[in-house]
Amino acid sequence: MQTFRVNGYDMSYLEIGEGPPLVCIHGTLGDFRTWSAVMGPLSKTRRVISVSLRHFFPEHWDGVGDDYLMAQHVADVIEFIVKLDTGPIDLMGHSRGGHIAFRVAEQRPELLRKLILAEPGGDLDRSLEPDANEAAPPRAMRLGVSADKIRHGVIEGGVAAFYAMIEAEGAWARLHAAPKQQLRDNAFTLLGQIGENRRPYKRVEAESIRSATMFIGGADTQGALPAVLRALATHVPGAKTKMIEGARHWMFEQRPQEFCRIVLEFLDAP
Amino acid sequence: MQTLTINGYQMAYLDIGQGPPLVCVHGSLCDFRIWSPVLGPLSRKHRIIAVSLRHFFPERWDGIGDTYSIAQHVDDMIGFIEKLDAGPVDLMGHSRGGHVSFRLAQRRPDLLRKLILAEPGGELDPSLDPAARPDAPSPLTAPFRASAEKIAAGDIDGGLALFLDTIEGPRAWRRLPAAPKQLLRDNAMTLLGQVRDKRPPFSKRDAEAIRTPTLFIGGANTKGLLAQVLHTLAAHVKGSKVTTIPGTTHPMFEQAPQRYCEVVLEFLAS
Repeated sequence: MQTFRVNGYDMSYLEIGEGPPLVCIHGTLGDFRTWSAVMGPLSKTRRVISVSLRHFFPEHWDGVGDDYLMAQHVADVIEFIVKLDTGPIDLMGHSRGGHIAFRVAEQRPELLRKLILAEPGGDLDRSLEPDANEAAPPRAMRLGVSADKIRHGVIEGGVAAFYAMIEAEGAWARLHAAPKQQLRDNAFTLLGQIGENRRPYKRVEAESIRSATMFIGGADTQGALPAVLRALATHVPGAKTKMIEGARHWMFEQRPQEFCRIVLEFLDAP
Repeated sequence: MQTLTINGYQMAYLDIGQGPPLVCVHGSLCDFRIWSPVLGPLSRKHRIIAVSLRHFFPERWDGIGDTYSIAQHVDDMIGFIEKLDAGPVDLMGHSRGGHVSFRLAQRRPDLLRKLILAEPGGELDPSLDPAARPDAPSPLTAPFRASAEKIAAGDIDGGLALFLDTIEGPRAWRRLPAAPKQLLRDNAMTLLGQVRDKRPPFSKRDAEAIRTPTLFIGGANTKGLLAQVLHTLAAHVKGSKVTTIPGTTHPMFEQAPQRYCEVVLEFLAS
């Protein structure tokens, strides 16, 4: 694969098409393949660059080490964009990759043109959600259950538990074998995610985003993800929101044509 | 993407992992992305090189010209393996890519170590199927032509539905998840080239000429011509092995990626 040496790590990426660069950041258990279903339509008019973050496939990580951190991945993406050396880019992140993209926009707005956050992951602090239980966010506890299974060699069970938490109980059994295998390929990254120490979002952070921002959600996504999306979208100045009917958290795999239409319309707008 | 210039064409490929090289050739309407669900397990011990043949995504072909043919694609793959300059490679082809791989093994056994044919596409001549009439069109010719006509007229989804239902059975397109559907859409125009290609049928002499150790892989539930071609070729390729994967049809490596990878790795290691 193509790689850039970024903060001492060979970061892999897939690059397709010509035009203004659009850098895509996958989420938990994803990798550069996550965006396969939208590569075609997006690369017609864009140079699409889909990265694999540190420790995700094509690396076969054993889960040992302390550099799977939100801060590390943010620093890696910043360095990646700097090394790309194309001037300001459009940045799109899904789920945990949306969290990373948000932090990049917060820290280095001059690197970005537009920002697309597809159901960014994370937690809200009390300035965004007055009832937030900052000591023990419920999803962190369930993530621990998944990681424990993987640590004990129950790869399928651990990944299935994570997937069910995001999509719905029983969703893993309905998922096709091909996307399942790609999640399995990244199972050990969940061990890193347990200790990644990501901070919750604050209202003042959302208000500080200067890039033109669009949030995309699946209309049928349940739980905390839609709450985070709505809270951030309310406070990021001028942010747009599009919800895709009949889709959940992996909305760009479930509705690739609709997703691409929304993204291209936003990127093409003056 | 990474590319090699072969016979005047920039051929894109994905290159993951280290070890003995395994070159993967996709079938009709697909591209390098089709191998995504097996990249993880296979790349642990092998250098996986998944090509996109001439005119497939990431190219956006207009369907015009006579450079889409088995003969051209075989020439391109020979040039690709030569330029790769990694010594003899293992070669794996699916469907029409299995046909290309078979022809390559016939012409240039010196380039290959082992050969894996996953339900190779094609027709049988009277030396392999006494019921076959020379010059009679394949039973797939008429439906594929009708598919191509729809696609040429702009009805991409209608054309693809007809193609897929012909191979996989009624309502196969409707049941297919959105992500693999989009991959077929990205390559729809290649079908215009395919219906113009007059590929010769397989003969008994062709099969007997293969000297590379060969494994055929089939879906246990695949019916019709593809199953017939597989078992007939296997009966005449000297010393070849056959493995069928329970519960799968033509896209067997997407439907059972773990089992498929076990079968492939066992054969390559033996």
